[in-house]
Amino acid sequence: MATQIVMDQTGDTRHEFDPGNAEALARAERRFRELTGAGFTAALRTGPGEVTRIRSFDPTAQETLFYPRLVGG
Amino acid sequence: MIAAVWLRAPARARLHALRELYRRFFGENTPDARGRRLLAEWLTPAQRAQFEQHRYFDVVGCDTGRTYRIHYGTAANVHEIDVEGHATMGWCFVPSGFLVPGDVMLAQKIALETDEKGALALANRFPPATHSEHFYRRPF
Repeated sequence: MATQIVMDQTGDTRHEFDPGNAEALARAERRFRELTGAGFTAALRTGPGEVTRIRSFDPTAQETLFYPRLVGG
Repeated sequence: MIAAVWLRAPARARLHALRELYRRFFGENTPDARGRRLLAEWLTPAQRAQFEQHRYFDVVGCDTGRTYRIHYGTAANVHEIDVEGHATMGWCFVPSGFLVPGDVMLAQKIALETDEKGALALANRFPPATHSEHFYRRPF
C-alpha cells in the first residue's frame, strides 16, 4: 500500500491506496494534482530523514507528504 | 464481567483508570501528538535525537549550506546559526492554515533542505534576540 499524507488541522490525513490498482492509482494522481494545484508542496522520503520535492505524480512513491503553501510569518 | 469488576473497584482506582485511558487515547491522538509523530518519522536520526533532547533540531540549507535551527513552535521559530550555534538571524515562514507545531516544523525542514532560497525569499526576518529559549513552550 502507498500513502499520501496531507497536513491539516487534525495533524494529518492519510490516504492509502494500492498502486497496483489502476483506479486507485488514478484517484491518487487526481488528488496529487488537486493538492499541488491548490498550492500544496509534495515531498518524498528518499532515506532516513532525507527528502526531495516532486512536481509531478510518482506512481512508484510509497509515501508522499503534502504541506500547504508557505507564507511569511 | 468487566462492568462487575469495574463497579467493585474503589472510586479512586476507577478515576485512575479513567485518567490513564484518557491519557492514552486522547494524548496520543491529538493533532499535536499526531504532528509530533509525523515529524519524528521524517527527521534524520541525528535530528530526532537532537529534538528529543533540546526541543529543536538543525537543518542545512540546500542552496547556501547555512545551518538553521528549528525550534518547537509555530511562528518565529527558525534561527540561522553560526558554527558555534549562536543565532545570527531569525526567519519567519510557515505553512498557511492553522497547523500544529510538528507539521509546521516539518514543512520548514523540507523547505530549507529542498528550496532554501524560495523559503527565505518569502520569509520575514527578525532579530535573533527577540525570543529567549523560554519563549518556546515545552512540547510534551
